[in-house]
Amino acid sequence: MDKIAVTGLGIVSPSGLDKRSFWANIKAGRSMIDRIERFDASRYPSHIAGQVHELDGYSNVSSRLLKKIDVFSHMALVASEMAIEDAQLDLAKENLKRGGIFMGNAIGGWLYGETELRDLYLEGREGVSPFLASAWFPAAPQGQISIQYGLKGYSKTVVADRASSLMAIAYAAKTLLRGKNDFILAGGMEAPVTPYALLCCNTCGMLTKRNDYPQTAYRPFDKTRDGFAIAEGSGVIILESTERAQERNGHVYAHIVGYGTTTDGVDRIQPAGDGRELSRAIKMALDDAALEPSQIDYICADGAGTVLGDLSETRGIKAVFNSRAKKIPVSAPKSMFGNLLGASGVMDVITTVLAMENNTVPPTINYLEPDPECDLDYCPNKAQTKEIKYALVISRGRGGINCALVLENPVG
Amino acid sequence: MAVGVSLEDRVKGIFQKVLDIKPEEIRFEAPLDQSLGIDSTEMVEISVGLKKELGISLADNELKKTHTFNQIVQILRSKGMPS
Repeated sequence: MDKIAVTGLGIVSPSGLDKRSFWANIKAGRSMIDRIERFDASRYPSHIAGQVHELDGYSNVSSRLLKKIDVFSHMALVASEMAIEDAQLDLAKENLKRGGIFMGNAIGGWLYGETELRDLYLEGREGVSPFLASAWFPAAPQGQISIQYGLKGYSKTVVADRASSLMAIAYAAKTLLRGKNDFILAGGMEAPVTPYALLCCNTCGMLTKRNDYPQTAYRPFDKTRDGFAIAEGSGVIILESTERAQERNGHVYAHIVGYGTTTDGVDRIQPAGDGRELSRAIKMALDDAALEPSQIDYICADGAGTVLGDLSETRGIKAVFNSRAKKIPVSAPKSMFGNLLGASGVMDVITTVLAMENNTVPPTINYLEPDPECDLDYCPNKAQTKEIKYALVISRGRGGINCALVLENPVG
Repeated sequence: MAVGVSLEDRVKGIFQKVLDIKPEEIRFEAPLDQSLGIDSTEMVEISVGLKKELGISLADNELKKTHTFNQIVQILRSKGMPS
């Protein structure tokens, strides 16, 4: 059976808006998390985030369209444009009825939503923009991308908390394997740095409160960890069969070769402490890829940075990899740019793909005090040189969602 | 109330604000959906803008995206708006 290839990357992130600057920042172990200043967030328990500051300069989106869409759609449009260009995909030559869009998103377009809600109370019904209905819902970016590029194929938006975009990518790959589309724009977008969305994120109790030192706040697997920092951005990758990519002289970054998903069934926010269902999702993904655990060279972790989340993930990984677990680098590059929530999975896939291309494991930064219960090699603070043939990407979400995706380096 | 500003100019100003276009982009005798690519939701915004600025409510059948700019000005005049 033909394999599904990643042939283009589009990145709108706190660590950069193109793959070169993004990778340079990742390799250097640079933290891009900062205080939130676009509104007064000082009274929120957690008021730091990975933020995108240069979006306007990159945007080919008209100001007329910008009035009708939320910022998460804007970022998705920019990332889509970058991905299409990176893949050198000539849409004029494609059957657009067989071009699809598979996006993941957790919270929808809250900046638009809460602004209009405020206007409802201040000005009454007529103060509310008629574009609210089409701007805020989680599938709005899918619609905007479809309109922008004329893509009319089998498409979907997945809402699965922080696992949304990894799940969307997996379903996109399976859709291509079933021959439903010729190519798919897959990934996710999230814009939670707004007054109400930040409040919602704070109430789940998973965010770090180290506001005085934003750059060292997000410290997955460290003994003193106290949660994650949210982030905004979008990642879009182009997926198509390897055969098709080769026919049009496209570049193959990686193959998607396995996927597994399970649900903990324990708590509405916290993962199951034993990591048992996570280990089952990982095994499912390895079986799907027809791989043994011993073949995995790198694990890109969910890295929630919470006490229980990281412990649970460590246990889940150990249950699969046993004695070899401590020999595989496990890192959370999102410690550098923040947790993009629904878009975190696609950022992890993009980071892992670039890691494969550069034979470099990205670090988990802010790792200073080891936790005896989290004792894997988290590639602390500095990138490591390593050839990566097979990598595992883990994304987890509230409600006990576990997702595991296996990527293959086409080289080696 | 803006003194000395024609109704036409006031309506142009509303269009400019709602659609984020320049006044010279408006073609007075062409249907709005064809000349400016206006969609039905933008027509709702125009309707709200006209009510806020001019105090005039137009019904759905009075304000259509197939109307031309001049037709809309004419409809407003027929509702008692001074030129």
